[in-house]
Amino acid sequence: MNYGFVIDNRSCIGCHACSTACKSENEVPLGVYRTWVKYTETGTYPNSQRHFQVTRCNHCTNPPCARICPTGAMYQRDDGIVEFNKDACIGCKACMQACPYDAIHIDPETNTASKCHFCAHRIEVGLEPSCAVVCPTHAIIAGDMDDPDSEIAQVLSREKVSVRKPEQGTSPKVFYIDGAAVSLVPTATERTPESYQWADVLPLHPGDHSSHGASHGAPPAPRKNREGVALRAPQPQGLPTAGPIMLGGSQASHMVQVGYNAQHKIPWHWPVPAYLVTKGIGTGIFLLLAMIFGLGLAPFDPLTAVVGGMISTVFMLATTALLVIDLERPERFLYILLRPQWRSWLTRGAIFLMGFSTIGGLWTTVELAAFAGFLDPALAESARPYLLWSGVPFAVGGAIYTAFLFGQAEGRDLWQSPLLPLHLLIQATMAGAGALLVAGFFIDLGVMESMVVWTFAIAVGLDLFVTLVGEFGMPHASEVAARAAHEISHGRYKNQFWYGAIVVGHLVPLALVIGGGSLLLAVAGAAALAGLWFFEHAFVMAPQEIPNS
Amino acid sequence: MSTTTGTLDFFARLLAFKRSAPDAASRPAPAVPSAVPTTAGEMMQQPEYSDTKKKPVRLTTVEQTDGRINQYPPPSSWDEWIEWDSKSWPKRVARRYTLVPTICFNCESACGLLAYVDKDTYDIRKFEGNPTHPGSRGRNCAKGPATHNQVYDPERILYPLKRVGARGEGKWKRVGWDEALTDIAEKMRASRAKRRDGIMYHVGRPGEDHYANRAIQSWGVDGHNSHTNICSAAARVGYYMWAGADRPSPDYAHARATVLVSAHLESGHYFNPHAQRIMEGKHKGGKLIVLDPRLSNTAARSDVWLPTWPGSEASVLLSIANYLIQNGLYNRDFVRQWVNWEETLEAAEKFAVDDDVKAIAREAQEAKASAADGSYRFEDFERLLEALYDEFTFERAAKESQVPIERLVEAAEAIAAAGTHVSGHTWRSATMGNRGGWQVARALFFLSVLTGSVSTKGGTGLNSNNKFVPKPHSTPKPLETWNELHLPHEWPFAMYEMSFLLPHFIEEGRGDIDVYFTRVYNPMWINPDGFMWMKTLQDEEKMKFHVALTPTWNESAWFADYVLPMGHSGERHDLMSQETHAGQWIGFRQPVRRVAMERAGLEVKRTYEANPGEVWEEAELWIDLSWKMDPDGSLGIREHFESPTKPGEPITMDEYWGYIFDNSVPGLPEKAESEGLTPLAYMRKYGAFEITTDCYVPHEKELAADADGVDVDGVRRTGFKTPSKKLEFFSPTLSDWGWKEQDYCIPWTLESHVSLGNIDHTGGEMLLLPTFRLPTLIHTRSANAKWLYEISHKNPVWMHPRDGERLGVRTGDLIRVTTEIGYFVDRVWVTEGIKPGIIAMSHHLGRWRLKEAEGIGAGMSNLVTLDESDGEHQLHVVHGARAWKSPDPDTSRVWWEDVGVHQNLTHAVHPDPVSGAHCWHQKALRVEKAKPTDQHGDVSVDTKRSMEVYREWIALSRSAVDYSPDGTRRPYWLKRPLKPAPSAYKLPERPWGRD
Repeated sequence: MNYGFVIDNRSCIGCHACSTACKSENEVPLGVYRTWVKYTETGTYPNSQRHFQVTRCNHCTNPPCARICPTGAMYQRDDGIVEFNKDACIGCKACMQACPYDAIHIDPETNTASKCHFCAHRIEVGLEPSCAVVCPTHAIIAGDMDDPDSEIAQVLSREKVSVRKPEQGTSPKVFYIDGAAVSLVPTATERTPESYQWADVLPLHPGDHSSHGASHGAPPAPRKNREGVALRAPQPQGLPTAGPIMLGGSQASHMVQVGYNAQHKIPWHWPVPAYLVTKGIGTGIFLLLAMIFGLGLAPFDPLTAVVGGMISTVFMLATTALLVIDLERPERFLYILLRPQWRSWLTRGAIFLMGFSTIGGLWTTVELAAFAGFLDPALAESARPYLLWSGVPFAVGGAIYTAFLFGQAEGRDLWQSPLLPLHLLIQATMAGAGALLVAGFFIDLGVMESMVVWTFAIAVGLDLFVTLVGEFGMPHASEVAARAAHEISHGRYKNQFWYGAIVVGHLVPLALVIGGGSLLLAVAGAAALAGLWFFEHAFVMAPQEIPNS
Repeated sequence: MSTTTGTLDFFARLLAFKRSAPDAASRPAPAVPSAVPTTAGEMMQQPEYSDTKKKPVRLTTVEQTDGRINQYPPPSSWDEWIEWDSKSWPKRVARRYTLVPTICFNCESACGLLAYVDKDTYDIRKFEGNPTHPGSRGRNCAKGPATHNQVYDPERILYPLKRVGARGEGKWKRVGWDEALTDIAEKMRASRAKRRDGIMYHVGRPGEDHYANRAIQSWGVDGHNSHTNICSAAARVGYYMWAGADRPSPDYAHARATVLVSAHLESGHYFNPHAQRIMEGKHKGGKLIVLDPRLSNTAARSDVWLPTWPGSEASVLLSIANYLIQNGLYNRDFVRQWVNWEETLEAAEKFAVDDDVKAIAREAQEAKASAADGSYRFEDFERLLEALYDEFTFERAAKESQVPIERLVEAAEAIAAAGTHVSGHTWRSATMGNRGGWQVARALFFLSVLTGSVSTKGGTGLNSNNKFVPKPHSTPKPLETWNELHLPHEWPFAMYEMSFLLPHFIEEGRGDIDVYFTRVYNPMWINPDGFMWMKTLQDEEKMKFHVALTPTWNESAWFADYVLPMGHSGERHDLMSQETHAGQWIGFRQPVRRVAMERAGLEVKRTYEANPGEVWEEAELWIDLSWKMDPDGSLGIREHFESPTKPGEPITMDEYWGYIFDNSVPGLPEKAESEGLTPLAYMRKYGAFEITTDCYVPHEKELAADADGVDVDGVRRTGFKTPSKKLEFFSPTLSDWGWKEQDYCIPWTLESHVSLGNIDHTGGEMLLLPTFRLPTLIHTRSANAKWLYEISHKNPVWMHPRDGERLGVRTGDLIRVTTEIGYFVDRVWVTEGIKPGIIAMSHHLGRWRLKEAEGIGAGMSNLVTLDESDGEHQLHVVHGARAWKSPDPDTSRVWWEDVGVHQNLTHAVHPDPVSGAHCWHQKALRVEKAKPTDQHGDVSVDTKRSMEVYREWIALSRSAVDYSPDGTRRPYWLKRPLKPAPSAYKLPERPWGRD
């Protein structure tokens, strides 16, 4: 058994019967679609054309949504249907980030993930999915591709078909006959209009007038080369021509625009970049202290240890709170542990975070008890190496696992950066040191200070290098990643990125560190933390704005 | 796991952690904050389904031996069908349904539906298609499943409402059916006692085939008024003058060339059944040729798109005809056998304009005079055709239509290559857009005639071949009366009533109305010049009593004295048949909850006992109302509503439909018996019956030599329903009734009011194409279907980039469009999918209400204010769609705001002088950037100007008073929905306006 769909674009008349039949069969609320018909328009009158594309979950042979799901709520059945269980879903929205096709949404009624499930409840009693049944022109063919007698198998062996984004390695099982690149490739349509043909377009960001991203300026003015030939300046790599093709100052000549599409919302908002910062502080401080004390780089300083440990613990609690807040079903957060899906880096990350919080919390408690005289300092001292060294792998894991989680997010190419584990470790170190510098304004870090300052300065410098040269200096292999990076460095997030992340987050701290003094150092630390927030916010938000459907 | 879940849920409640909806930030907080009682006083509750968890269930798995997946449960399981609940899935919760077939009540296709009725709560879970329905074959468009929205629309009208306060003030009280019917019947009886033209039943899409007409006929009044003259009158005239049938029935599935002057793949008159078959024909290699200035979805699917300038369609079609004629590519035998060419040759000298044509006509007459058998020579007719049409070159057509000439040639070659497999359809579009549009239908059918594709396999049949209307148990006598407000003497050819001019007639003082029924019809919104309608509906002197029969609120019902809630698709009995393909069938609409209850052994006397609230159906209502109108039988009305078996008692639904199925549907009793069912039980189970699929070339049927038919090559055949029984190329009827010119009496072109020459582009004029439809909506019937409105809720003005550039506007910008009588303000959608110089708007949208919490749903309509001063009307939009709270949680998730602009208010009336059709295309005198004070949705109209335009057009007509050849009002052989007796046809002694 291997269920799939063929969409015969030669037959589709764009009537939306499938969208409506699906709403009826699956009682899908307003605001979301499990299947919809995308319209695109191309060409020049009278050679213009409208393309229809039934768009939905691809029931991928290798579904990234199932891999990333921490609770197994999203799973692939043995018959090839990618199914979801709303009763197991915690609403973490990781599947939405993993899906390169915008096929998953949060159901406003259940606050859990939802999508096309091949009408598995009908398949089990021997009935076709309702979209295939309703289709007036038999443009939707549903069936078992393993059965050589099935219509779908025969059509697939006869017709040329295409799929959406094969480069994602998901092996989609919705095959299009006569697929049009302008519909299959979400970014081929340069600009989503202010409106659709007969439907409103909601802005991605409330309050925005214009829709999906695409803050394209005018093309650069031509320059002349040495021979006097006027040249068009090369554009950033991987980035298609900005805006619609212009002629005589107006959109003309060749139209490529979306006539209708389902509209998607950004799944992750401020809690996610905030959690990256708090987690960085929590794990970073611990790592810094563990290295300094564990390797004996400085004599043990009880006050620094206690304050540092407490800051780490508080920020790890904040991390947990942020993660829970971001869930659509926060009351189900323990499902990650009660029904873990071990391939998910959300699950693995939860283990790291919990392991680290437990060991770090224990260590802090022990040091605090000893500091306050409730515990024999000798006991604390003998426990210290065990607690610190056993905590290190969890702290490192906690700091960097998000890189692997982001790596599982097939829908956000920018996040799938090989530099990210290293980058997160540097950021954690920077954040930990920065936080200690802030603490240093209130307590005397004593002999630790120079160690922390040096670590901080090096981490800030390294982070600057990795950010500018690594993440944003190297051209991005995929167009989608390039666009997201461009949004950060030149688009909607450019002020956040340049002024917030680079100037406030790196240049200012480096300058202040040279000045020295506990006030300036504290400001330097705070500035670096603020800069980290600006960076993470841009880094988390921008890739989510690039359309996947 | 369940214990853990329970614990966690408890934990969650302790936390009391409430998440806001993920989309809450996208829109401002709803302005209709909470559930307010609607006008009906009560909101429709949402469906509940029984919980079968406690009962043991066994699911039936539908298995095919060849491994295919089924589409529907087999009919043998329809009485009791158990399936998994989709919402609980993947938790396995079984639900128990009884499956009741019905037919859709949205458009006129009459597609089959299958209602899944919960066996315990009798709530309807969903509507799927009916696999046994021959027209729709188990498939549907978006409107089929969305029927569920209409049934469970929280704002639907649940009880009869009586006006309190002034008309239009919007104050109502709930009354019982008996009180309402008694009151209405008394007024009808009083009117009937005085006159035979005081009661008017004004119907939108009938959605049934005979029932209401029979009731009206029984009342003895000329009371039927339809919407046909804003819909299809022009095409009907074109087809009728050719073949005596008022619409085509193309056999798309077998066509080798299909010519559509329409957007049939998204909005055909029989959308889903036709779309299925058009695509089937295309897949088999047939060429699809589409004439439309707009890139419709249909044009997008075509092989040859001819984006014609409106008014040039006949020229394009005649250039193709000319190509067939000049190259001898037409079917000579068919034309010789079936066209009235002898009659044509006889008249040609009189109607011809060119001298060479006149000369051929004279030669033909001379040849006839000298011929041994005294008859005309067909060769002379062929020469005549060549001479007549040689001016219709591709070059001329290309110039008038602004279509690349290669495409015209490509279309012509495809048609020439298709043999007798040329199907064509025009219904609204160009025929209804343009003055003289009826000639588009004449020109299109000319191609079917020339290729011999009339009623052939793959050709263009006639509705009379395929539509089957069975006879009921009694039929009242034809009327002997004529209502001047329906068919005044100025338009003897109108198909049919001049309905859209009713307010103008009343304004002029042509008459008044005692009892006016609007039935699933919203005249003030859908007709042109709506403020004239508003004036009439408010005038209690002339419009004395208005009863609105409607399933849902509409703008006109707001100005009624009674609003009576009528059922949707699954809430009523109707019988329907449509010419969807080369086949004949009937479909049976049923109140599905009632049927389900009766299956369960419950007794239901009246359908409103089973429907939500007290929603009723006309089929029963007309019985009770007519009974009350004639309680003692003295008016001769009651007898038609009496039980045939129990005299003195009203007929029941089972008796009424049972009689028809027993006696009037060929083959049904036998088919039912083969399944051990009565014919009625068969129809209740299957909801549809196929009468025959043998429908080709009925005109060729051989008859006895003395039968009423026509001799063709020495054989008596049935022929066509024209006076000559032939296809009338030359129409003696048009010629005799004042339209003697060549432009009218043979297929020709007529100058449209919006032809290229009539639009002053340099002066800033544009053509407003205001009629195109969307695949998801149906006129004003679908503003109660949330799934449809979510996909399509606004109607921006389509504009070509070149025009946008000229006006300095881009997609989303506001423009003001000034028509002959006013202006409206809307946003622009810039696209290469529209012909430069033309702006286009979809016609469904722009619904409005006058009170925040009452009337048409808040998610589907604008809240507006109306102002009037000396005929100057202003409509101002306060706000667009809003989310609001109701028993249906979806109403709080309405995320769209723009619900369109009511453009029809600004349309002047354009009655075509021949067909009487309203010519929908509007001349946009100015199209400009909106002024600073303009707001989206604003409409302004001067109704004094409305009357001036009306008078300009009425001056074009040719009255029967001046042209009738026999002192009658109208050629008797022309169809009328309720045809009076011949005695009623005599022209009045004092025709209106001729004193």
